[in-house]
Amino acid sequence: MAALVAAAPLSGVQKEQVRAFLRAQGLTFGDDAEYTALLYEGDAIVATGSLCGQVLKYIAVSELAQGEGACAAIVSALVQQASRWGRSHLFLYTKPGNKALFSSLGFYALVQTADILMMENRKLGLASYLASLERGLPGTQGAVVANCNPFTLGHRYLMEQAAGQVTALHVFVVSEDTSFFPAALRYEMVKKGTADIPNICLHQSESYLVSAATFPTYFLKDGVKPELAQADLDIALFGARIAPALGISLRFVGTEPFCEVTAQYNARLREQLPGYGIALRELPRKDNISASAVRAAIQAGDWERVRQLTLPQIYDDIRSFADANTGGAR
Amino acid sequence: MQIRTSALAGTMESSDIMVRIEPSDAEGIELALESSVIQQYGKQIEKVMRQALSELGVTSARVSAVDKGALDCTVRARVLCAAYRAAERDDFTWEVGV
Repeated sequence: MAALVAAAPLSGVQKEQVRAFLRAQGLTFGDDAEYTALLYEGDAIVATGSLCGQVLKYIAVSELAQGEGACAAIVSALVQQASRWGRSHLFLYTKPGNKALFSSLGFYALVQTADILMMENRKLGLASYLASLERGLPGTQGAVVANCNPFTLGHRYLMEQAAGQVTALHVFVVSEDTSFFPAALRYEMVKKGTADIPNICLHQSESYLVSAATFPTYFLKDGVKPELAQADLDIALFGARIAPALGISLRFVGTEPFCEVTAQYNARLREQLPGYGIALRELPRKDNISASAVRAAIQAGDWERVRQLTLPQIYDDIRSFADANTGGAR
Repeated sequence: MQIRTSALAGTMESSDIMVRIEPSDAEGIELALESSVIQQYGKQIEKVMRQALSELGVTSARVSAVDKGALDCTVRARVLCAAYRAAERDDFTWEVGV
């Protein structure tokens, strides 16, 4: 009789057992597991899965235990724990071949690449999100996705230029709350900073664009560079689901001389968006202004520099938030 | 009964049903049911679920359920439990002795 054990966090020995079990299944156990469910048959692990934020990861079932409801037990335990922690909207990634298995556990396909299938546990999750988005006037629709941590003159320049090239510009502000400036404040800053550009439709990205959910860091089999595959999924979700709903045919990015990850992401966008009928336009970055330079200036207490790099109407917001959260800029 | 938060009851193991009840902006019960026996018993499960919610006076909620062949009494128990949790209430009346 199999026994279900769940722990958060795992002890040293158990962690090594899980690591070895996953390795045998071709998966790499990451450090982001907050809660791990294990199914034992005697002393041996026969199935496992972990909860990382709102994503179910590192799910594997040994061949011996397949077809015995092991996966259902693991996923049940993870979903229950997520619920206790107040997380109701969940995601997972799996091989496309596992679609039927996870469909039977209440997950619905969001998007799929050659290697990965992304699923969410709300039947109408993405559909309701898309239905809620403000539509632009008929004509060319463009998109910008930005974190704006904080909103700078560089963002302003990019959005102004992009808005001038389309009938409507959809600006998605990243909703993931892992940045120095919280999502709600970043959204407000963009709203204030672009209020005079009439053809901008401002959106929250929620979990569907550049989020912890669209960037899995696990399960990728040998030979796939994880960072590339992750970008692929984000791009596929944008290209196959979000852009068509709004009629977006152009995506704008600023040239990226500083951040390697962003530069790589832009390169993948350039490569893959045409496959979805979307063109990428890279606009030269204004005076090499970056949000990280603003955060560095905040850290250094150089408020004159902050003033130079941001907009007058949001300077006070930046200052008061930074003053209340001193030492936290990163 | 007013649904205030997202709550869960049950598991996705054989003969059980996992029911999630969440607040909804709209009036009415939005129900998404997955079941291993949906062809045979989908309508019946949905009827039992709606009946249980109606008894509690739940008129607005988003409900999703993953059924693994639960009997009607199990379906009813899981729905009632999830609803009380989602309403943040614990003043239930046990049926013992009835």
